[in-house]
Amino acid sequence: MQIKRRQFLKMAASLSVGFGLGGFSGPVAAALKSLDSKKIPRLIYLQGLSCTGCSISLLQSENPSPLSMITDYSQLLFHADLSAASGSLALEVVDSFISGNAGEYFLAVEGAIPEAMPEACMLGDKTFARYIEDAAKTMAGVVAIGTCATFGGIPAAEGNLTGAVSLQEFYRKRNLEPLMITLPGCPVHPDWVWHTITHIVKAGIPKLNKYASPELFFGKKVHDNCPRYHSFQEEIMAENLGDEGCLFKVGCLGPDTLADCPTRWWNGGQTWCVDANAPCIGCSAPIFAKKRDFPFYRHSHSA
Amino acid sequence: MKVKIGPVTRIEGHLNVETTIENNLVTDAHCEGEMFRGFEAFLKGRDPLDAQQITQRICGVCPYAHAIASSYAQEMAYNLEPTPNGRILHNLIQGANHLYDYLLHFYQLCALDFVDVTAIAAYKGRDPSMVQLRDWVKGELASGKAFPAAPFLPRLAGRYIDDPEINLQALKNYLDAMEIQKKANRASAIFGGKFPHATGIFPGGCTQKVSIDLIISYQSLIKETIDFYKLKYIPDVLAVAAGFPEYWNIGRSQGDFLSYGLLPFSPNPQSQRLLAAGVLSDGRVETVNFEKIMEDVKYSRYSSPSGLKVREGKLIPDPHKKSAYSWIKAPRYDGRMVEVGPAARVLVDYSSNNNQRLRELVDRYAGLAGIQPMQLNSVLGRHLCRALCGLVIGEFLLQESERLDLGSSSMAKFEVPATGEGFGATEASRGALLHYIRLKDHKIEKYECVVPTTWNCSPRDDNDQPGAMETALLSTRVENPEEQIESVRIVHSFDPCLACAVH
Repeated sequence: MQIKRRQFLKMAASLSVGFGLGGFSGPVAAALKSLDSKKIPRLIYLQGLSCTGCSISLLQSENPSPLSMITDYSQLLFHADLSAASGSLALEVVDSFISGNAGEYFLAVEGAIPEAMPEACMLGDKTFARYIEDAAKTMAGVVAIGTCATFGGIPAAEGNLTGAVSLQEFYRKRNLEPLMITLPGCPVHPDWVWHTITHIVKAGIPKLNKYASPELFFGKKVHDNCPRYHSFQEEIMAENLGDEGCLFKVGCLGPDTLADCPTRWWNGGQTWCVDANAPCIGCSAPIFAKKRDFPFYRHSHSA
Repeated sequence: MKVKIGPVTRIEGHLNVETTIENNLVTDAHCEGEMFRGFEAFLKGRDPLDAQQITQRICGVCPYAHAIASSYAQEMAYNLEPTPNGRILHNLIQGANHLYDYLLHFYQLCALDFVDVTAIAAYKGRDPSMVQLRDWVKGELASGKAFPAAPFLPRLAGRYIDDPEINLQALKNYLDAMEIQKKANRASAIFGGKFPHATGIFPGGCTQKVSIDLIISYQSLIKETIDFYKLKYIPDVLAVAAGFPEYWNIGRSQGDFLSYGLLPFSPNPQSQRLLAAGVLSDGRVETVNFEKIMEDVKYSRYSSPSGLKVREGKLIPDPHKKSAYSWIKAPRYDGRMVEVGPAARVLVDYSSNNNQRLRELVDRYAGLAGIQPMQLNSVLGRHLCRALCGLVIGEFLLQESERLDLGSSSMAKFEVPATGEGFGATEASRGALLHYIRLKDHKIEKYECVVPTTWNCSPRDDNDQPGAMETALLSTRVENPEEQIESVRIVHSFDPCLACAVH
């Protein structure tokens, strides 16, 4: 994804000022100094057709802790699960940024958008789609949190009734091209979100792949780094669910899925799917759960 | 006058509540579920083994309950019993999920309804996380920003705890609970693969093999969580109760209670459960019969027929339906409105005289608070029931983990049959959860879910009978009709999950 210099500076400024300008290259730091240094990194986090799993995943972060992310690394102006205010008091905060001129902010979106049935997701009296569309005029950029926002995910599965689409598709249909970073995963890994934000603050925008996801996390296939790659080479294959060995024959989608789960692990480094003998179901891939005729456990009838 | 108090925050998902206020009293309430995805439509035609994965995405807060309910339903449809280890692992995973969820609910979702967050500015101690929070809040308040200390401020007008010691202790525990909930989730992820959304749960058991190191890690994490329940969580519930004793009598729902029971003692699906199943009506507990459950849609945004049984469920969305005010259907048990959730779980079990440890805890803490057991049907009652359920579950998980057999398989071998049907019922943290699956040609022909918040936040049924939360809001005195912190406290006590309710 091509990122315009002006967009980058706007984004870096809105995310960085809490830290001063240390860590930036000379030209970037010089350019940033010309921007209002009193501005602080601000985030408005909205949920569409989502299950809140990504938000819950963000609370599983270890280093930095969830508290640090709120107090040190971002200004979380609104998040439906944490905000003390509700009702019109809460909407006032959101509206003052999205429809008003309260200042620069970043939008974070968890969940897909019901393109064919906007009434299927409301925030107060307005549709969620309306908020997302209006935000394109005022936000510095947008972060798609999780597979639903990035690729449509489960709400966009074949046979869905709402016409759910990803954020990219939503904006593409309206000829809008906001600065966007996508962080897929069902749920997203907390590191992928928090480390992306801190990376932008400290070192600029990370290199993005063709889906606008940081290569840092989504540069290699799960299979490439899998601890069971050796089993694969030796053809030690699990024949049934629950067997050890390479899980390819019980449906593992590691060879088709970009993510660093095999080296990062989940829940504070406690475990990850394949370590629990569970095949990768490709939860960060564009095809995740989309097709009826492409089940997760494709050898299941003979299992 | 009519006042909408939504979008309600510090819950899961998209909920609005329209209240009618006369002379500072709530005289009417309508719960509006505002998000629809249609899981039952896109599950149709899929491979049955996709179901325990896809249904977890109904809710990222309690995904494991959906995986378990789906696994139970599939086990019945496949005529399959899990291995003994498999059933124990199901229990260990699901139980730990309850422990995390209660903590998250009381501290992150509810504490700010009672605790004064600005008290942190006066903190004099040296606890690093408290110092971090204090310095941040002070800096924010002095910054001149439009919205300082977001997302903790602004907040609704109302009375908060005024004892500085209690506030500081509660804030410290708010921060510590954020760390402890991670540990409970790490425990469940050991056997589930990751949290949220486990990949290791299947009908017939779990893919993870059991080993000493995994069991010890699990037990250690659960012990730490239980300690927090005993030393912090239960005392904090009592401290809030001491500051707001009127909430033992506020937020009483006016129907019956339903629980499907939680954590079976053996692979046999009919086996006794740690917490009992039943329908509690006028002090009498009936056996649950899924055939008595019907879902009405007179006030829900569907044009499909109303009053259908679970196995006949239909889903035709009608977003512009004139009479409708919610995406949530209105399930009724034998035509009756019921509350589900922690109070129902405890009251059904207590009235069945099932779990003696729970009975002892209820008697002790009801005695301490000076309430009758039926007053657990209240804002404070729901909070206390969660904490007590958590303690009983946690103690059971430690015993249950000792029963794992190191040499045995965690997963039964099975084949998905061409046809079959099954119900799977369990208790999610928010209450009674039912899945139904029917197979045809090895595929899902029909899948139905009746989910806890579908019951609790239901709109009126076809007989204009309101839902549990709608009745719990009635007669509440509100100081500030525009903001209604009192109503918000009632809504929060149910821990609504709208992604679940509509799905």
